[in-house]
Amino acid sequence: MTFQTEVYQNQYLPAGGTVVDAVVTVTASGPGDGGASAAPKSAAQVIMVDCSGSMASPATKMSEAKRATAAAIDALRDGVAFAVIAGRADADMVYPPRAELVPATPQARADAKVAVNRLTPSGGTAIGRWLNLANVLFAGHGAAFKHAILLTDGRNQHETPQQLAEVLRSCEGRFICDSRGVGADWSGTELRTIASALLGTADGLPDPSALVDDFRGMTEAAMGKSVAEVALRLWTPAAATVRFVKQAFPHVDDLTGRRTEVSARIGEYPLGAWGDESRDYHIQVEVPAGAVGEEVLAGRVSLVSGDEVLSQSLILAVWTDDTALSTKINPRVAHYTGQAELAEVIQEGLAARDAGDVETATSKLGRAVQLAEQTGHADTAKLLARVVDVVDASTGTVRLKQKVSGVDAELANVRSVKTIRVKEG
Amino acid sequence: MTCAACGAGVGEQDRYCEACGHKLSEPVPPTQPVPPKWLSSADAPAACSGCGGTDFGAEGYCDSCGQRRPAGPDHSELELDAMAGVSDRGHRHHHNEDAMALGRLPGAAIAVVCDGVSSSTRPDAASHAAVEAAAPALLAALSGGTEPEQAIGAAVRAAQAAATLAAGGEPGNNPPSCTFVCAVVTADGVTVGWVGDSRAYWISTMDGECLTVDESVAGRLLTRWLGADATDTEPRLRAFTPSGPGQVLLCSDGLSRYADSPAALVALATGAATTATTAAALVRYALDEGGEDNVTAVLIPFPFEEPK
Repeated sequence: MTFQTEVYQNQYLPAGGTVVDAVVTVTASGPGDGGASAAPKSAAQVIMVDCSGSMASPATKMSEAKRATAAAIDALRDGVAFAVIAGRADADMVYPPRAELVPATPQARADAKVAVNRLTPSGGTAIGRWLNLANVLFAGHGAAFKHAILLTDGRNQHETPQQLAEVLRSCEGRFICDSRGVGADWSGTELRTIASALLGTADGLPDPSALVDDFRGMTEAAMGKSVAEVALRLWTPAAATVRFVKQAFPHVDDLTGRRTEVSARIGEYPLGAWGDESRDYHIQVEVPAGAVGEEVLAGRVSLVSGDEVLSQSLILAVWTDDTALSTKINPRVAHYTGQAELAEVIQEGLAARDAGDVETATSKLGRAVQLAEQTGHADTAKLLARVVDVVDASTGTVRLKQKVSGVDAELANVRSVKTIRVKEG
Repeated sequence: MTCAACGAGVGEQDRYCEACGHKLSEPVPPTQPVPPKWLSSADAPAACSGCGGTDFGAEGYCDSCGQRRPAGPDHSELELDAMAGVSDRGHRHHHNEDAMALGRLPGAAIAVVCDGVSSSTRPDAASHAAVEAAAPALLAALSGGTEPEQAIGAAVRAAQAAATLAAGGEPGNNPPSCTFVCAVVTADGVTVGWVGDSRAYWISTMDGECLTVDESVAGRLLTRWLGADATDTEPRLRAFTPSGPGQVLLCSDGLSRYADSPAALVALATGAATTATTAAALVRYALDEGGEDNVTAVLIPFPFEEPK
């Protein structure tokens, strides 16, 4: 597998300018020349299936969850260590019966599917407990890449947000988790929080029949990961400040707080596992103002796996008195700045709406409609139209809908971070 | 009888010359000409001008403060035989984007001055690469018997190729670029070639003359230059036969903006003991007058005399 990084930026700053923006596109592709190096790494997968009482209504939630879990088990490569957990107010082993991971074999897959088929809905929801058990299972295993799928149909009712946050902290960096909501009663914020902490994806599936394809897809993507732990290493000059490092595509995720210091001028941000894929990162660095004509290296961005540098690119700053040069905003930087704001105003607008603050909700969601229109984000525009009546998208004039199905607001929330890519620039 | 190699007296029976060791039975090898020699101001400084750091990454940026390492030092002084050059950053510019080279071969002295175009990206990379390519190309062509006009053409092509390469893989909208002026001075005459607005002057105790014509409009905007985005890079040429001894001055517009007329330059050059002190005096004058730009002055005495 080979990694490529490309930097998109306007390196020109006006006299006195200090803020340098760059979008770094990272593309991993394999198998490159050798082929052997691209062999998928040893992997492990834990599936957490919500078996709370609400999974019974409608009954298709439980039956589709069982089918989806079976599809995920079938998609496991031979030898991949796996387990299935039933999630209620506590977490129980479904397969294997003991708290351990077992290698996928035809027999193990068949036994696991039998066990999954016996699942019955009952009890409550304490997602932290489920994640905790997954963490324990992974902890004893030497797989290079550890992946979990979490399915819930409701909110995390039987523990506090603090409890969940504590468990997430203990799981960070131990495994990657994709989280999914099924039906109408899950919380978009909770799913995003889990996905963000555990470097996975989040989505909601109101229709349970979509679960099978989704579970199979997530498992296949996990089986395709061939570099387990990649990090973005960022060198910045003395006296510079890293304002933020955000994943900008395929979804917005602020990595700024995940920095670990490597040395005085170098920090690393975990990017999780990579298969054949491409992601964009928006980096903003503040540097001391230079004299006109001066050129500094504002950042050196490397993709690293352990101590191996996979790819490297430079972020520059050149001071000029030519305003034609310094006032240009790079189209990709502008685009992702808009996408990040879009995610933010959707989340803030929905939170204000939940809190009954009509004025803030209308203004934020109006801005969201406007940004979605401006950035060509058609999917988001459609979701927003289920929450607000759009009077004029170009000016962001909207009215809050009086009756909104809960799941539409949660879908708008969980998908607020999804971004689209621009072709040029 | 005498030794054919060194002219010392040798005896009838001698097999070897006592003086030089030549084997008298063998023919005399052809005398080796003095090999061409040249030097330039291209020399990346050892310490970062921003923070004094001495570690630079492979891409040429300071490991500590990130400042780009320039292609040449802020100030340089070159001397080769009777030739001399001085180049200085001036008071306003962040780097010295002027570059110079001096060279000689049997029968001729050469010099090159390139002025990086300040509005381009990394202009010092273009100017230093250009002089480093032009000087050996010019010497090689002249050594091979090429006439000065054609040799200057070859030197400009080499300089243009080097300035283009200085842009790297992605030249962008505003790649590194520079002007070019060079002189070939022999025992009989002077030939100058140029692209852009760097100048060559003839100066002597008797008279002075500007040998070049600026390729710029309104005294500011270059109409021709070297670099990845240059389209017309054929040098303009001028052959000149001085009536008596004097010096050829090559300079960047950092000097000529303050001392434009040949008479002014003659006055400034008069009284200095050597080409080195003359060049230093000219650069000092430009700095004292404001030093708004990088300033470079190179002097070649006419007529050319073989170094002793």
